[in-house]
Amino acid sequence: MRIFYATDVHGSDICWRKFLNAGAFHKADVLIMGGDMTGKAMVPIVANGSSWELTLQDQKLTLTTEAEVVAMEKRISDRGYYPIRLTREEVNAWAADPSLVDVRFKAEIVRGVERWMAIADEKLRGSQIRCIVSPANDDMFEIDEIIERATIPVLGEAVAIDLDGLTMISTGWTNPTPWNTFRELPEDQLRVKIDELVKAAPDPHRAIFNFHVPPYGSNLDNAPKLDAAMNYVSGGQALIPVGSHAVRDAILHYGPLLSLHGHIHEGRGAVKLGRTLAVNPGSTYEDGVLQAAIVDLDTKKGSVKRYLLING
Amino acid sequence: MTSVNRETPSLFLRNATGLVKGWSGFDAFGYSFMSVNLVTLGMFYSLAVFAFVPKGSVLSALLLSGVVMTFLCVTYAGLIAVMPRAGGDYVWQTRILDGVPGALLGAIVGFFTLYLAAQAFGMSGGVALVAGLLGIVGGAALGWKRGGIGFVLSATGWWFILALWAPIYGFILKIEVVQPLVALLGWTDGSTFFASNNGTFAISLFTIVIASGAVALGMAGYARVQRWCIWIGLAVLAVMFVLMLISTQDTFHAAFDKASQSLFGVPGAYDATIANAVANDGFAPGGSPLDFGLNGDTFLLLPLMMFWILYPNWGATLYGEVRGAGDFKKVLRGMLGGLWVTIGLAVVFVLLAAKAFGWDFFNATNDNFINNAYGYVTAAPTLPIWGYPPLLVSFLIDSRFVQIVIVVLFGAWFVGWAGTLWLSSTRMIFAAAFDRVLPEAAARVSDRGVPWIALLLIMVPGVILSWLYAYQAGFSALTLDASLVIAVTFFGTSFAATILPWWKPDLYNKSPIARYKLAGLPMISIAGAITTIFLGWVVYEWLSNSLYGIGTGNTQSIEFLAVVYGLGALVWVVARVYRRTQGIDLDAIHAEIPAE
Repeated sequence: MRIFYATDVHGSDICWRKFLNAGAFHKADVLIMGGDMTGKAMVPIVANGSSWELTLQDQKLTLTTEAEVVAMEKRISDRGYYPIRLTREEVNAWAADPSLVDVRFKAEIVRGVERWMAIADEKLRGSQIRCIVSPANDDMFEIDEIIERATIPVLGEAVAIDLDGLTMISTGWTNPTPWNTFRELPEDQLRVKIDELVKAAPDPHRAIFNFHVPPYGSNLDNAPKLDAAMNYVSGGQALIPVGSHAVRDAILHYGPLLSLHGHIHEGRGAVKLGRTLAVNPGSTYEDGVLQAAIVDLDTKKGSVKRYLLING
Repeated sequence: MTSVNRETPSLFLRNATGLVKGWSGFDAFGYSFMSVNLVTLGMFYSLAVFAFVPKGSVLSALLLSGVVMTFLCVTYAGLIAVMPRAGGDYVWQTRILDGVPGALLGAIVGFFTLYLAAQAFGMSGGVALVAGLLGIVGGAALGWKRGGIGFVLSATGWWFILALWAPIYGFILKIEVVQPLVALLGWTDGSTFFASNNGTFAISLFTIVIASGAVALGMAGYARVQRWCIWIGLAVLAVMFVLMLISTQDTFHAAFDKASQSLFGVPGAYDATIANAVANDGFAPGGSPLDFGLNGDTFLLLPLMMFWILYPNWGATLYGEVRGAGDFKKVLRGMLGGLWVTIGLAVVFVLLAAKAFGWDFFNATNDNFINNAYGYVTAAPTLPIWGYPPLLVSFLIDSRFVQIVIVVLFGAWFVGWAGTLWLSSTRMIFAAAFDRVLPEAAARVSDRGVPWIALLLIMVPGVILSWLYAYQAGFSALTLDASLVIAVTFFGTSFAATILPWWKPDLYNKSPIARYKLAGLPMISIAGAITTIFLGWVVYEWLSNSLYGIGTGNTQSIEFLAVVYGLGALVWVVARVYRRTQGIDLDAIHAEIPAE
């Protein structure tokens, strides 16, 4: 069985489409999206008379036709941002009242995930490729039910999923981050949550962990050190492990055959922890490049046959 | 949940993992400034070899070096803006170079490697030409596949050649810190030991321990040390410049003679040094750093300057998200700041050296030492150790304690620089392991986060080359090969940057630098082309001109380069074949998945 695992696409339309096409392209049996699928930023396209203005990557742009606006919206979506058409008055009101931004963010995220699920249903209809989507700490809870409603994608969070005799258990909850995101737990509570999930696996050695946060100190979790004001310490040269002790301990304790992770975009790599192959394909979603892991599994032996980290 | 950029409400962000405020300009400056290190690289080599091109204009060469490296900075800052988290030359080249451009680059590298290697190994012209043609075919095949030439150029420039830098770093430590301190402390046995091959090898091993220790212990602590080193280094450099400014040549002449008599028992060392250089090194007194012009000899100085000034882009691997053109400007300003501040300091240093030491003496003492140290002449120099400029300046103060303090504080330039020697190498090894070119064990880390196997993969060749550097006659003369291999890597990256807008337009057009054009041409292509042409010329000069002591005039140099590039290609080919037997297709690593 071949699984195709990608994560942290953060709203990038082009990465999502590549993910859905990867099953046929790489002859995968199962597609797994590891979470953090929603965007982090909205780009206002501001009406100015008959034209539209926006600033993208420090470039001030003026668009004069509807076709230009549509093309720009696609470009913005491909980078993982949400394009939103606003009036100048709305922009000023938003700048003054962040709660207005909150409301629109939620609406854009929900709309985006609904659209992605519709695309998935359309693209994967009629194929034998399974698709598992597991939200993570940057994803608000509202998207879980949207994924559940989808026809072909299956919600991974807290569900034991059988994969030809192997059991995949997933959680997008992480240890605390400096950003205070949606799904964070102290290490001890995260371990309790993991232990509960593992109970659903008849044989932990034949389990696949799909835990968003990588194990602490695994090299899959190296991130630039930040100061209290969220600035890089030593220009990003100072890397520190920020993964989860609970996840590491659980991997070493239960010894699943495979452990899939994301969360740390710079932490691309694969390491052996005990008998477990732990993988973080990393993410470069803003470039429109889908980083992923292709893992071939021997379902009879319950082992990893081979793996490859790709940039697609 | 949300945060709003109130200054420019052009982007609304929500709290999400990874959103940071980005680089500070000082960080970018710091990397660049310490990488084109005025003391450890500049004074050690590039600012010490003017006597080898006596008719070249020093000031013109310094300024020209800054100008051409400005284009290198624009090229790299542009690539950072296009692929900000891409991991430097390796990913840029593997993402951009394939097909015809990749094959072309591979053919060039393949031809020169095999053609020159065949000549170096004593084969006839015809056989060498056939070898060169085989190099074209092999290199083109390797470059056609995405990832092939990118791996070879990156592995050689960011991994293999860093093993040669270990003994060079060790040699710098020896002649800039250890030998001056041993002399000032009057430790006779130490002077004898460190002047020997065993001493050279021992200091190289010590340097390897420092470099490995910085990787093993993590960079967080070392990065703090680096920042302190910048300030300490600048402060003591300012003191040195003031001393040079307020002293006269006569004062220095007397101080130098006194110190040389006291430390080494050499009477009248100032005049003796010039006389020795004239007699044994072909030194011609009478030049001046103020000669300003653009004659052919001035251009011959540029490849010598590249040993030192080639690396303002060294901190090219960045992190972070939601970036824009502002980051391009910030990174570029940082790189250019480091480059041009260093060029400015070098100009001041050269002028002050002429004023305080005397231009003839300054060049003679360097000529005298370098010719002997690299085995170009067998005649002994007047002084048993190098006339390290901070040591010379310290003689102006008639206090052994102050002299020691000055040399120790100048050690900050080494300490703040040497720890990063193998950081890039281990990251390159990780990247190759993740791409399955190397065994996965190469990326393994211990429970304490130490990448032992990656470290061994760079330490072992580092120790071997350190041994050769210390004990193999003529091997230390390959110093410029260390820069040549890196220049070839930068050449490949600059070439990739030049073709980027046309070869990978999707990638380029989405980037914040797509709007920067000159006469309708993309700025990154113009800067990349100039850098490519310049580096191509520099590499050609290094390979073909006997002035530089490497290349076709030095069989050992060509053999070494052939091993380096041959090994890079061999690793790639063996990995592809072996992985195929495992059912792993390395082509899939870079295969673009269709979006529609």
